[in-house]
Parts: sequence; C-alpha cells; structure tokens
Amino acid sequence: MTQFNLVVNGESRQVEADPSEPLLWVLRDRLSLTGTKYSCGIGECGCCTVHVDGQAARSCQTSISSVAGKSVTTIEGLAPDGLHPVQQAWLVEAVAQCGYCQPGQIMTGAAFLARNPHPTDEDIDSAMSVALCRCGSYPRIRRAIRRAAKAGEA
Amino acid sequence: MSMKPTLERRDFLRVSAAAGGGLLLSICLPSCQAKPSSKSPTGTATATQRPGLEGPDVFRPAAYVLLRTDGIVTITVHRSEMGQSIRTSLAMILAEELDADWESIRIEQADADTQHIYGDQHTGGSRSTDLFYMPFRRAGAIARDLLITAAAHVWDIDKSMCTTDRGEVIRQDTSEKLPYSYLVPLAATLPVEPNAPVELKSPEDFRIIGTPMRSPDGPDFVAGSAAYGIDVQVPGMLYAVVARASSIGGRLTDYDDTRARLISGVLQVVPLKDAVAVVADSTWHALEGRRVLKLTTAGGPASEFDSQVEEARLMANLETDPESDELIAYYTVPFYSHAPMEPMNCLADARSDRCEVWVSTQDPQTVKHAVLSQTGLRDEQVVVHVPFLGGGFGRRLDVNSPIPLVTEAVELSSKVGAPVRLTWTREEDIQHDYYHPLSVTRVRASLSQVERPRLTRQEARGVPTGAWRAVTNVPEAFARESFLDEYAYALDMDPLELRRELSRPGAPRAVLDLVAEKAGWGTALPSGRGRGIAYHSTWGVTPVAQVAEVSIDTSGHVRVHRVVCAVACGQVINPDTVAAQMEGGIVFGLTAALKRCISISGGQVQQSNFDNYPLLRLDETPEIEVYILPSHDAPSGIGEMANPVIAPAVANAIFAAAGKRIRRLPISGEDILSR
Repeated sequence: MTQFNLVVNGESRQVEADPSEPLLWVLRDRLSLTGTKYSCGIGECGCCTVHVDGQAARSCQTSISSVAGKSVTTIEGLAPDGLHPVQQAWLVEAVAQCGYCQPGQIMTGAAFLARNPHPTDEDIDSAMSVALCRCGSYPRIRRAIRRAAKAGEA
Repeated sequence: MSMKPTLERRDFLRVSAAAGGGLLLSICLPSCQAKPSSKSPTGTATATQRPGLEGPDVFRPAAYVLLRTDGIVTITVHRSEMGQSIRTSLAMILAEELDADWESIRIEQADADTQHIYGDQHTGGSRSTDLFYMPFRRAGAIARDLLITAAAHVWDIDKSMCTTDRGEVIRQDTSEKLPYSYLVPLAATLPVEPNAPVELKSPEDFRIIGTPMRSPDGPDFVAGSAAYGIDVQVPGMLYAVVARASSIGGRLTDYDDTRARLISGVLQVVPLKDAVAVVADSTWHALEGRRVLKLTTAGGPASEFDSQVEEARLMANLETDPESDELIAYYTVPFYSHAPMEPMNCLADARSDRCEVWVSTQDPQTVKHAVLSQTGLRDEQVVVHVPFLGGGFGRRLDVNSPIPLVTEAVELSSKVGAPVRLTWTREEDIQHDYYHPLSVTRVRASLSQVERPRLTRQEARGVPTGAWRAVTNVPEAFARESFLDEYAYALDMDPLELRRELSRPGAPRAVLDLVAEKAGWGTALPSGRGRGIAYHSTWGVTPVAQVAEVSIDTSGHVRVHRVVCAVACGQVINPDTVAAQMEGGIVFGLTAALKRCISISGGQVQQSNFDNYPLLRLDETPEIEVYILPSHDAPSGIGEMANPVIAPAVANAIFAAAGKRIRRLPISGEDILSR
C-alpha cells in the first residue's frame, strides 16, 4: 500500500492504495463517492467516467498512481453549487430511466461540450457513442446534449 | 340476516400520529383482495408465465400516505423502480385523487413485506400500473375526504360545501382556504365514518394523471446521489467476490488459496457450496485475491450442452412438409442475456438475532422468504431493503437464481461476523444469468384463404432460462409478424392491409392505422431504403404497432433510420414515461435484433462482457417517434410492449429494401448478403 495525494472535487485527499488499484474502486470504496459506477471493468461502457484534469477518463482503466497530484472530478463535484448545464438539460429532457449509466453519460457529455461547445449532430452522436445505456435513453441523451450546447451559446 | 360482510371503513383506514406532528394514513382496500395464490412459494417466473399474475402473497393492496404539518406528502411505493418510472406513476395516481401539490410529493420505497400489508411486490409482467391504479386512486380519495372533513369541522359547515385544489381545502361560498398541512393534526383525531362512499375524480378533471410530470427522483439521478444496491455502504462493511466454475452449473472440486491469502487487504477465504469467496477490505483487494486463486473445476449437468446442436434439434422436431396450398416458415430467436448496467450484487448484515439485506430486486418478498428460511429468524428480525435497480428486464425477478446470490451474501456475513457486500463482475453477470430461451417457432397458414397463422414453438432445455423483457412475446411477435409479411407477399396483399384484415376493430386496428399514417406507409422512400411494419399486443393487453425504415450497405450492415411507434395503453398516467418506455424498448429490441446473442458450447457461455456481447450505441439509434392513442379506459402496462415489435419490423423492412427474408435473430450481414 502506498500513499497518494490527489485533488478530488476540489479537495485535497490522501489515500492509501495499491499503485495499480483503479481509480474507480478508490472513489467508490475508499472515498464513498458512489456516483461513479462500476459496470464492465474493461473500459467498454463508460459508466465509470470521471474527469482527470478536465479530460474524460474511464476510472476503471485509470490506476490511482497515474492520477497522483492530479485533479479528479466526479459527478458529485461536477457542479458544486447547483446543476451543470448538462445536468439541467438532462432534467428538462427527462433522460434517465433506471439512471445507473447516467453519471457516466453526463460526465462524458460535460467533457465533450467543454472541448467542443458548438457541436454538430454528427459530433454529438460520435462523442456520446462511447457510453452504453441498456434502458435505451439514447434519443433523449441526444436531445439533452443538443439542448445543453444551445444553452451554452445563449 | 345477511351473511354478506359489510365494509367497515375503520377496518381499512388507519390514522396514526407520526413523529414530528404528522398524519400517517395507512389505507388498506379489502374490496380489492384476491384469493391467495396456489402457486409455488418460489415466485419464480418461468418462461411461459406472465410474471406478476400470481405471487406468493395474498394480493391485498394497501397504500401509505404520510402527510406532515410542514406540507410534505410522502407516498410509499412498494413496486421496484428499475427505469419504468413506477415510483413516479403510482405517486401521480395517488396525488391526483388526493389533489395534492405535486411539488410537495416525496416518495419512499417500501421494504420487502411478508405481512400482507402492501400486496404483491413482484415487479414483472408490466403489471404495476394496472394492478394498483384503482387502489392508489382510492387511497388518495380517502385521504382527501378526511382532510375535507377536518376543514368542514374548522369552518363548522357541511362537507359538501368544500372542495380542494393543489393541497388546499377551499370553502366554496367564501373562497377561504386551508392548507392540508394545517388540517393534518385535526384530521389525525377525527373519527372515521364507516361505510361512507368516497368519490373519485372524473378523468376529464385529471390534472396530474395524463400530464408529463417530472419525476421527484430526477435530481438524484443527475447528481449521482440515487443509491442503487451496489452503492449502499454500512459501517464495518467488508467486500467479497466469489470464484466458481465459469461453466453453467459447473462444480468447484478443489482450490488453492495460498497466494490469495498473501494479498494485502484479503481477510478471509471462505468456502461456499461449489464456490469460494474472497473477503477483503475493498472490492479491489477481493478481486486481486480472486485473481490468484487456483481453482480445480468440473463440468456440471449442462457440460454437453451446445446451442447450435440444440437449435438443430428444435428445428428437426418441428420440421414438417407443408400441406398443399400452405405456407410454412420457421423462425429462430436465440439465447439473450439481460445485462443490466448494474451487475448483480447484494449487501447482507447477518447476526444471530437479526438480518438486514440490501438488494436490487424485482421481487423483494421472495428474497425475504428465502432469508427467513435460511436464517430461521422471525419475520420482524429480517429486513430486506430495495434500493434503486440499475436495470431489471426480468433478471432481478429471481436474484437467487441460478446462483444463490443473496443466500451466499447472508452466509458470508454470518461466517465473517460483519456486513458483507458481495459484488459480481460483468463476466459473472453475463455467464451466470438465466437466459431468454433459444426457441424455434413454426408458423403456417393456408394460401387458399386469408387466415390467422398458427404458431408452434419449442424452447431449449437443459440450461437456465427465464423471464427476459416481454418473455414469450419476443419469439411470438418475431415469428408471427415476420410470417405475416411473407404471407402478404404470397397472397399478393399489402402487409398493412393483411394485418388490418386480421386485426380486431378498436385499439388494435387503430394503432395500425395511426402508425401507417404517421410513417407515411405506401409513400416513396429514398432509393435503397425499405419500410417494414409489425404489430403485437404483449400479454394481450397493450397493442403496439411500429414501422421501421432501414437501409443496408454493401457489407450487409443494417442501418435503422427511423422508427414510428403507436401504442394503445388505456388511460395514460405519464405520457413522457410511455414515450420513454417505447423508445427504450425499441433500443433494447434493436440490440437483440442487430447485435450478438448468447451462444453456449460445452456448457460454457461464450460471451463475457460488452466487448463480445455489445449493446446498441447512440450513433446506431434511429430517430424514434411515439404516438399514444388517447383513452380513458383502464391503464395497461408499457414496460414490455415495445421490444417484441421492433425485430420483425426491421426484418420486414430488410425484405422491402433488399429482398432477403430474415428468419433468425440476431440479423447478420452474412444472412442478408447470402443468395
């Protein structure tokens, strides 16, 4: 076990972990940030998506040692005082069904719009296809990202 | 003297003071009681039953409404929430008749109830809305009546001079208002009039039912604060994963845990029946411990099973020569896994005098019965909590099958003397599922007259199968609706016209007409595109028609561009939820139609994760339009109604686009390109 310093949702945190331990399990088991979900463990589904220094990252494929000294944002810290525009759009479009994949979808969408604030519909389809939803909320994810992008233009 | 029992209202309405100055109404509706079921106590849904039609408990609907002096109204929902938005729908139904302010509504999830308080909690078969529509309406109406009575006391007027609006009682002659929150303490002390009739709203007066209300759960879903089974944490909790043979029913004959015990954080290695658990201080350490276990395994009773061989056997059983002037065709639907995004998991805290379990389940009562019988504890010593389900689709109707997940979690907790969170990896979730059964359906009909096709289906045996969203409706709709298309061409009829001719008037024909109109049936399409239609009424209760537009590229890849869906589900509770269930069902059905299936070789499931059991992705999702037939008839279910329809709609569209008949799912490019 090694001690790692990182910033999680704006707060300095020290965690004891194996260097190879995925960030996913550090967040969930050691820091009780359970909004970041486990689903496939192989980086296929996107449920565990967080931001590392502002970039979307699959926390199940990200070792704790690789994020030492870096800033990690989880769904709990995406908008500390209220709702991120993507979260707002999500509520307006009533995207969630079971809701399990939605933190990962929202983190994927927020990172995408930060990088590409004026996306085309094709950009949205391509960017959001990295995250799986078994309930089939895709038509509404599409609409919510379009809405959030539009809100950013206003 | 009449022996007919009279309903004493005090028997079914219990008013009690709640902590913090509230009024708790427990409203039981004996008029809705049904006979106890004679069904087996396991409650397991088999592949041929409609889940939820029968349950292990007496069906005795009850509702709990907690009105507080701060204005918050808490409605207890006893059906499991897995994305069908049932918490919101049932709360809407009660809030409508209570005439509550929707913003004041909070929802509480009931624990497993084995005391016959809430009635059936078996959340399957798309039954929650139709079973509990009237009970929840009546409960709301009774609560409203009590608040009106309280206001009439305050004003010293007759009840008939009072009405309500959005959480307030209104005195009609003076327009004075009293909020429900103010009336709560008085209402809690009122004698309850026996046998007083309670009036229900006329559907024309609905302002919540039939309106796209926002779910009170929405903010928790987007904030990541909604707790699924996998998210529950309790003090002192340990983490476990289980190692077992990866084959179906395979046995663990020996293991070597020398290296596992050396992994830091691994606390215990605990043998279970045909399995061994690694208990650690974190999920990661448990996984690391499991990784270095050496297992010796042997095949189980399914070790000879091969899905290709089984398919050939079913086909051989059914194959027959057609009569003269008869059309016969055979349709294959494969094994599918449920693959909910939240893998199976359970948290158990088992002690000598009590046991508490948290598990995402569609059938909490059966779970509780299992824990009671395993532990020998009394009913009040066992609590089964039902967090949000990260997807259900039938998988969580029996969380103790084919592997006894809950039983193992309880055993582990009991053995290590601490709460234990048992988590399955995705690989276990896919390889130890009970699957949608592989089946072959023979369909035949006369070519000398238009008649309803006759279906005969045979299902695979020898491996675990069970309820998978819409169950038998999936192969039935695929076979019949694909056949009808072939039949229409053979009879030189338009596929829509043939369906209209065979359909009953009323909702079934109306959804066909509606979908045809909205999809522009019969109008020209861009070159290379084809349009297909299909219809099915899952469980015979909710007619759904869909038209799919597809194109096929040179490699045989199918692209679904647009799906138009028409649904007749009686009185709509939440139109936004109906649309969401149709959209979601279509996407779920497209994964089954266009992606991979489960194949089994030597008793081993060949798929293991989303890389080899992929789901449809957003960029493969068509534009979906949903149209709902207006109605004030009793509501019918929506959760399983869309997914059976899309595969035949797509298959029929492929024929229209490329002239190739699809008789086997999933649809493969090779099949389309083959001549």
